Amino acid sequence: MKKLLQAMLVAGLAASPASAAELTVITAGDQNMVDYVNEYLGPLFEQENPGNTVRAIGTGPGDAGSQKIVERFEAQKQAGVQTGDTDVAVAHEKFIGPMIKGGYLESYRDKIETGKLVTRSNADMALGSDVKGYVMPMYNSQAAIAYNPALVPNPPKSYAELAEWAKANPKQFGYNGIKGGASGVSFVMGWIYAFGDGDANKLMNGPFEEAETKKWDAAFASLKEFTRNSTLTPGNAGTLDLLSRGEIAMGPVWVDMFYSWQANGQLPPEFKLILPAPGMPGQPMHYVIPANAPNKELAEKFVALATSPKVQAEGIVKRFNWYPGIDAQHVQPALDEATWNKLFTDVTPADLANLGKPFPIAPYNDAILEAYEREATN
Amino acid sequence: MPKRLLGLLLVLPALAVIVLLFVVPLAASAVGAFQTESGFGFGNFTKSLELYTSDVIFTVVIVSISTLLIGLFSIAIGGYLTLGENPRAVALLRWLYRWPMFIPFIVVGQVLRTFLAKNGLMNNVLIGLGVITPLQAISFLDWRGIVIAFVWKQTPFVALLVAGAMSSVDRGNIEAARNLGASRLRILVEILVPQVATTLMVGLVLSFVTMMSVLSVPLMINAQSPTMITADIAFRINAYGDYGVANALGLISLAVTSCVAWFYLRYSMRERA
Repeated sequence: MKKLLQAMLVAGLAASPASAAELTVITAGDQNMVDYVNEYLGPLFEQENPGNTVRAIGTGPGDAGSQKIVERFEAQKQAGVQTGDTDVAVAHEKFIGPMIKGGYLESYRDKIETGKLVTRSNADMALGSDVKGYVMPMYNSQAAIAYNPALVPNPPKSYAELAEWAKANPKQFGYNGIKGGASGVSFVMGWIYAFGDGDANKLMNGPFEEAETKKWDAAFASLKEFTRNSTLTPGNAGTLDLLSRGEIAMGPVWVDMFYSWQANGQLPPEFKLILPAPGMPGQPMHYVIPANAPNKELAEKFVALATSPKVQAEGIVKRFNWYPGIDAQHVQPALDEATWNKLFTDVTPADLANLGKPFPIAPYNDAILEAYEREATN
Repeated sequence: MPKRLLGLLLVLPALAVIVLLFVVPLAASAVGAFQTESGFGFGNFTKSLELYTSDVIFTVVIVSISTLLIGLFSIAIGGYLTLGENPRAVALLRWLYRWPMFIPFIVVGQVLRTFLAKNGLMNNVLIGLGVITPLQAISFLDWRGIVIAFVWKQTPFVALLVAGAMSSVDRGNIEAARNLGASRLRILVEILVPQVATTLMVGLVLSFVTMMSVLSVPLMINAQSPTMITADIAFRINAYGDYGVANALGLISLAVTSCVAWFYLRYSMRERA
């Protein structure tokens, strides 16, 4: 009897791709991530795979959203669930390492067509964890300093100049600390890359050494001074908000949010971006497929579609002003020149290559955040 | 079936809900606060105090100031509703004061964030009226914003309780005091408030505990440093996945609320004795 049941179950599973299936996509990030799947990617996929439907679920903005996804996988594993409820997940890179370590993920990049279109190093290493094969980047986002050219005609080109400028213009620089969104985190990481006594490359590539974490005292002391002289904003959107109201003249923002706000008319068109030397961290969002996904084949098809040059051009670059996840040269032919130029006016591809940094590897990342709490704000 | 067993059976579902949904999670988080990587110990508490002492103090001070202001405002509102002599003003106040009670904290945070900002509605109105110059405008989005949000949101709740209690006080007391020439303020302070003290205290204790647990307001208005414990707990979990320190912070805030509850219990026991 048990054999028969198992056989029926296997038969049922084997037959399922042919029949109509519901593909469940869970995604971390703001509402725009859910909208992206519901309004654009989902319908496109349903059109190409008639009979199947896509359901998108958001788990919340920021690291908290990705943390929830990890905890969900962990709980399912501990409960011994054979077939999970998630086909595709979208998570921040910091959480991919733990997911692979827990054995929750399927290695699928080599199985899909678009896997070859990704060569950027952050698709192989995510904050010190080897993730090659397990992820396809959905997009790359980058933090940069936005400024109001009317108030800042000659924007500082490096962190050192920025610190000077902030001293001369108290409260005119605003950022959101580390508890109100990742643009502030990126700014702080960039500060440590610039002023920490250690080797920034070691922070980005590892290995983790306890001694390295002792080399930031001077950097945090100056950051404390700097923070006292600047305005603290409530969140990523808060910085843009204060910029548009003229309460601050400069502040770190996500490039995609900056362009989206400009496109909506929430930010004056003359505002500009600059990526100060030695650079600020950006991060990709990754598509992953759980090892226990109920519709694995369909999930692979979904990711292949989502990372095809057409979708990357139309959806990622044009609609949301993100930098493409797959290599840019594959996306450029599918885009009109105006869109391409808009994305790369202030921050040129060369800037991006030189000054767009990864975040520090996870243990340094945590150590810097905690040191910030201990030394810069206490 | 014996009657006693039947009674036990009837209580069982409710008891099970309380045990499963309240006691077990509470115990788990209390145990979790002492779990560190190297076994049980006080590591999480040392870390909490090292990083967040100023936030704990900040939280207690902010919530205490808010509670005090809520008490004053609700006595004023309740007092006017009971002793006011202009029927139209009383009716208007009665109609108006309950509104904030039905607005969720997150909406209060959102509304005040645009209202209190440096170039927000409040300052624009003040500048438009010529009360202040644009250069004098300052942002209230710091501890003052949190206090304003809490007081605005919680006052109606306490005022509702207090006004109810005041209206049930024997009118004879008030009439007698008035006959003897007491002013309305004196009646409020010496006759009404002492008689509704227990109700006032219950309202304030409940408000205190509610405010201790609000996450949305500090996140919307001031998630910087110092900030409230709730924002730190959320940050510990979201940024580090560190439930140990988060649990420890939770226990610390539980200790603070227990102090208030203890005062309350002691007071109400004495009342009853």
